[in-house]
Amino acid sequence: MINSTFSEDLNLRKSQETVLKAATGNFFWYPEFIMKVLKQSFLIIVAVFFSCAVLFSACGGESGGSKIEPTETQRATEGKGDLRGSSSSSAICKENRLLTYGGEPATVLDPILVSDIGTAEYIIEIFGGLVTLGLDLQIESDLAESWKMSADGLTYTFKLRKNVVFHNGRRVTAEDFKYSIERAADPLNASPTALLYLSEIVGVKDKFDGLTDTVRGVVVIDESTIQISLTEPITHFLQVLTYPVSFVVDKEQIMRDPTNWTRNPNGTGPFRLQTFNPLKEIVLARNERYHLGPPNLEAVVFNLSGGSLSTRYENDEIHIALVPTLELDSYRAGKSRYASEYRVAKEMSLSYIAFNVNKPPFDDPLVRQALALAVDRNAINEVLYYNRFRVADGILPPEMPGYSEDVSSYPYDPERAAELIANSKYFDNMPRITLNFPGSVASGGGFLEVFQQQWSDNLGLDIELEAVEWSTFLRELRRKTFQVASLGWIADYPDPENFLHKLFSSGSTQNKLGYANVNVDELLKKARVEQDMIRRNKLYWEAEQIILDDAAIIPIFWSVQHLLVKPCVQNWPDLSIGVPKYRYITIASQ
Amino acid sequence: MSQGIGAYLIRRTFSAVIVLFAISILVFLILRLTPTDPVEVLLGQKYDAATASVLREKYGYDESLPIQYVTYIRNLVQGDFGISTRRLDFTANEIVIPRLWVSARLGFFALVIAFGLGIPFGIYTALNRGKNRDPALIGGWLAVDAVPVFVSAPIVQWIFALQLGWVDLSFEGVFHKNIILPVLLIALPGVAGVARFMRAAIIQVMSEDYVRTARAKGLRNQTIVLQHITRNALLPVLTVIGLSLPGIFAGSLFVELFWGIPGIARESLDAILANDYDIILGLVLFGSFLFVMVNIFIDVAYGFIDPRVRIGASRSAV
Repeated sequence: MINSTFSEDLNLRKSQETVLKAATGNFFWYPEFIMKVLKQSFLIIVAVFFSCAVLFSACGGESGGSKIEPTETQRATEGKGDLRGSSSSSAICKENRLLTYGGEPATVLDPILVSDIGTAEYIIEIFGGLVTLGLDLQIESDLAESWKMSADGLTYTFKLRKNVVFHNGRRVTAEDFKYSIERAADPLNASPTALLYLSEIVGVKDKFDGLTDTVRGVVVIDESTIQISLTEPITHFLQVLTYPVSFVVDKEQIMRDPTNWTRNPNGTGPFRLQTFNPLKEIVLARNERYHLGPPNLEAVVFNLSGGSLSTRYENDEIHIALVPTLELDSYRAGKSRYASEYRVAKEMSLSYIAFNVNKPPFDDPLVRQALALAVDRNAINEVLYYNRFRVADGILPPEMPGYSEDVSSYPYDPERAAELIANSKYFDNMPRITLNFPGSVASGGGFLEVFQQQWSDNLGLDIELEAVEWSTFLRELRRKTFQVASLGWIADYPDPENFLHKLFSSGSTQNKLGYANVNVDELLKKARVEQDMIRRNKLYWEAEQIILDDAAIIPIFWSVQHLLVKPCVQNWPDLSIGVPKYRYITIASQ
Repeated sequence: MSQGIGAYLIRRTFSAVIVLFAISILVFLILRLTPTDPVEVLLGQKYDAATASVLREKYGYDESLPIQYVTYIRNLVQGDFGISTRRLDFTANEIVIPRLWVSARLGFFALVIAFGLGIPFGIYTALNRGKNRDPALIGGWLAVDAVPVFVSAPIVQWIFALQLGWVDLSFEGVFHKNIILPVLLIALPGVAGVARFMRAAIIQVMSEDYVRTARAKGLRNQTIVLQHITRNALLPVLTVIGLSLPGIFAGSLFVELFWGIPGIARESLDAILANDYDIILGLVLFGSFLFVMVNIFIDVAYGFIDPRVRIGASRSAV
């Protein structure tokens, strides 16, 4: 008995020893260890490789256009530059199909529901309206062959082309347009954009509010003539009509299949929807019967998944990609192998700092102006963003019709800024200032921190940056509880009214600053209905300059998209907003 | 015993339903009572009161909370998970289910690989514990785990797609060779954990009495290892596998972003940022449902695999 206990003990101790060895590893048993290391050194090399990889590799950076809405999380992440493949003779250039990237549609493909640029890109190719935009952002005729405006500017009469058909071959008539606008104004369809863009049409607001059943202002004169009456003689009405909400849809199709018609919509655009696989791609196929001439491309394939766009571009998988920010310099300097394929596409959008002019200390214009003078936007763009953007020297971006170079914003002048602050009534008792920005994934950006630093260095002001959850940010913005906020705005249609009136007119619902300047209001009211283009532009410039001098906002950047476009892709336009561009593009196969 | 199991199952299912209800109420309240607002997000800066009220009516957000909840549950039991506000008018079903399916299949492959590698490595290192290959192998797999996926992803893409051209970087479907890299990037970091766990389980089992008995009986080492040690060590591993299963439905965010895989992780992130109530609630409930089901399944499975565990047996059983 004793013996077995003893041997059990021995075994126990031995197994304890083994466990101990196992737990602590063999490193204490030195000479064996060296031998084993030498024999198994390949494992060490593997470990070393990974540590080197961790130390020396650059992390994937975030690029992709500056997004203002957080609903887009498509990110292009960085690939490694300078690799194989000049690409014009590659397989993707042999077919007449353009392979590009696209965002997941944020709405079903229904023109009255779409409100974001990403989905609009598909909508404007599949559907059409009375007028459209050309590559130069001028109004061109689409389904309307011609139009007349009454002398008082309140009535537009459109004559429709006779040869326009939906994708299924059915002729488009004025009745279809009436139906489409009625549908947009119908509260049961809950269009997020109808009131915003169509409320100047007589009767739209009444129908949307449930007061009437029909839109009085849209009248079918005959099969190919439609008349639209406005509540005020706005001169940007045609521009507004290029926005999807007024596009024509097929009444018969919607009646037949109200819930699922958007999966295979019958439109009038240069392309029709061939495939819609939400997990993978959207394929638009050429509409042979397009009334303005069928597109050159057989199809456009939008790959929805995103992923590492520039890497896939280098791997010859797609024709178009976004350039990662960190590599912008090498592309511009011509150092990358793909430098010749680098293109710039301008986006009509503005990022800005908005002051709540009713909240101290921003009710004092001197304070606002001082803050505007104290930030060096050029340096930020150069150092922080590799010159990715254009510094906004005004509100309207240069590609906007009606832009003037003479309009200018406050330059960087810290001395003058300090002077102004010293003269301000808040100089001795500056209240606490908090700058709010939406703290979502695609928000803020380093420039806010630089602003904070510069305001502190140049003015001695300690401004706090506070991130706010997106929907809360929007709500508090509306309620005007912020002192100062970081915002952005993308043009909906190419007209100065879209920026100036919508954002700065005292009566506008989009005026989140509480800005109310009698002169500006006067100018905007006049410009809005001014039929002489030259006078109109002048009125808008004057208004813009007053707004800038008042420092209602600090304009920061106009956005730019940096693209890589394969050389075999021709006629790629240098703008990226709201223009149906794919019908102009061709692929030159080698 | 089958009587015991039947009653057990009924009890578990009943409590599972209660748990799911509680979760649904909790998440529902969290979403509705916090200052989130999907209509705000939908309209963005172009908010106007009239449009907002029309939208709220459409989605039923203007009703009182109990009515909203009842409507939601009523639709849920009919299989309707609601409508997405962020992806206007796409139904939650058609957004969530295909993406869940993609993530689940990829996650499942990753799970198979992680355990398929982890278990043998665990056994091997356990049997060779004390020798240098033991910490070297575990350390090697830990190094793989230590590299963050957003660092290894571009490197791996550069090597295998750009330099070697073995795969492309687009997502062509779950059974296409392009998914090898993303699946490996999900699976390989997990091998270390599985191997260590298996290793500990084996070591634990090796000190048990019946192993000594087997050796004393003179059985071949291989028989001992395979039949006795591994099978017993697999029991705790079974639990780990089971608990990892719901995780495969969570998707792997960075891998999905880098390869453009339309998976559930990206979708969840977007839904949360956009306050898309129906999607968020649907995902949470689905995940909870899965978790609860898997737990029940594991418990029942134990009863069949491990004779020491009797499901539903009364306490006085010997």
